[in-house]
Amino acid sequence: MPGDHRRIRGPEESQPPQLYAAGEGEAPAPRDPARLRPAKGSAYLEAGGPKVLCAVLGPRQAEGGERGGCRARAGCEAPAALSGRLLCDFRRAPFSGRRRHVAPGGGEERELARALQESLEPVGRLGRYPRAQLEVSALLLGDGGSALAAPLTAAALALADACVEMYDLVVGCGLSRAPAPAPAWLLEPTLLEEERAAAGLTVALMPVLKQVAGLLGSGEGGPTESWAEAMRLGFEGCQRLYPVLQQCSVQAAHWRGASAPL
Amino acid sequence: TVEPLEYYRRFLKENCRPDGRELGEFRTTTVNVGSIGTADGSSLVKLGNTTVICGIKAEFGAPPTDAPDKGYVVPNVDLSPLCSWRFRSGPPGEEAQVASQFIADVIENSQIIQKEDLCISSGKLAWVLYCDLICLNHDGNILDACTFALLAALKNVQLPEVTINEETALAEVNLKKKSYLNIRTHPVATSFAVFDDTLLIVDPTEEEEHLATGTLTVVMDEEGRLCCLHKPGGSGLTGSKLQDCMSRAVTRHKEVKKLMDEVFKSMKPK
Repeated sequence: MPGDHRRIRGPEESQPPQLYAAGEGEAPAPRDPARLRPAKGSAYLEAGGPKVLCAVLGPRQAEGGERGGCRARAGCEAPAALSGRLLCDFRRAPFSGRRRHVAPGGGEERELARALQESLEPVGRLGRYPRAQLEVSALLLGDGGSALAAPLTAAALALADACVEMYDLVVGCGLSRAPAPAPAWLLEPTLLEEERAAAGLTVALMPVLKQVAGLLGSGEGGPTESWAEAMRLGFEGCQRLYPVLQQCSVQAAHWRGASAPL
Repeated sequence: TVEPLEYYRRFLKENCRPDGRELGEFRTTTVNVGSIGTADGSSLVKLGNTTVICGIKAEFGAPPTDAPDKGYVVPNVDLSPLCSWRFRSGPPGEEAQVASQFIADVIENSQIIQKEDLCISSGKLAWVLYCDLICLNHDGNILDACTFALLAALKNVQLPEVTINEETALAEVNLKKKSYLNIRTHPVATSFAVFDDTLLIVDPTEEEEHLATGTLTVVMDEEGRLCCLHKPGGSGLTGSKLQDCMSRAVTRHKEVKKLMDEVFKSMKPK
């Protein structure tokens, strides 16, 4: 970027070689079951294409001033100091997509960070951490479609790993609607399917409480029944993922208990 | 610990450290190559708890006007709140800038790849290798981990064949035919921390880096040649101590080279 003396300079402009290639023959990657590498307050999730690492720092002393775009809900009655704050940060690694992504991503990353925060707030018992803040950092190492669903799930697991009190885990699921002439809702779309989609939807569900923590959708989805059907599909997907997350959390707890001193 | 420095001194008197290592011992090093499908080359290096991932993306760009036969290698080290409490999100802070410049110096001085190899058409088209190093967990000794991750990722990079069409003067890329980069040298970094102006310990953890009175990083290549020496202030060192550091760096190079050869031999050819 012009005038950015904090980074090593490359050329002014560069293009990916794929623009000059004769036909693209990319086969979709085989799906891996979600695999997690537990550590203190962190979670790593791999779901076929998307690879996400999420870390939770805190709770620690809340800062007085504004920090980034994610602030507590507007029009809240109780003073912010009485309840904990959740600060979410969403970043894409520069090598995560097909095109090199130049930091900072600006609008999209902020929007996704805000969506993350809105979905995680109902799940954490923030009232138990007065005057404290929890920082959730999500890093997308490899994009494979549904950029919000995998980080949501990873963030919930990271919060559980950090022993933050929560009402339930949040599971995220991404959907996209293929364009006409065969408009059907596809669960967990790949990058290619998402690029060609007419509409996209991400649902965040709390499986045990059966409550929706977050919903983000955009595009031309057709009649309202079609959106309702998509949500139902999404909820089913979340419920199917939940046992895997439960198993991993339990394994992580065992592993942590075994390696703890005394 | 209430008095961390005193606590450390007690261990150093017995020639060992709280985590059980000797003064000249490195933490367990693991390396994993090629795990990021979207990158043209990638690697993950773990030095104890310090974890660095390197992803390389290759794009086309115009060569610099003062060197029309050369391509670019653009490193960038990212230290975010994800890896340590100390860092804030936003533009690169001081430590990240220092690390990025260090990696750029290592690439330049060691001639790990010849920038002329990256040129496709003199003055018009060259490869630009964006090397993004993201620290996933900071427990000291970032520079060694980054250098190793960069080297392993560069060895993993495969570039497609490019030809320039004579008539249209446009580049034609054949994604099905890929070849590895020509890696000419293998620079390996060895970092030391200086305690109380006299004692040198190798591969410091984050806590040791905080308590140290100075740090030193030596980069050697396989022929025992010094590529880079990084000593940002701190306590002075005598000539003989510096010589000891270089000998340790030479031994470390052999350890790292052996590990890397094992990893690359075990990878199935595509």
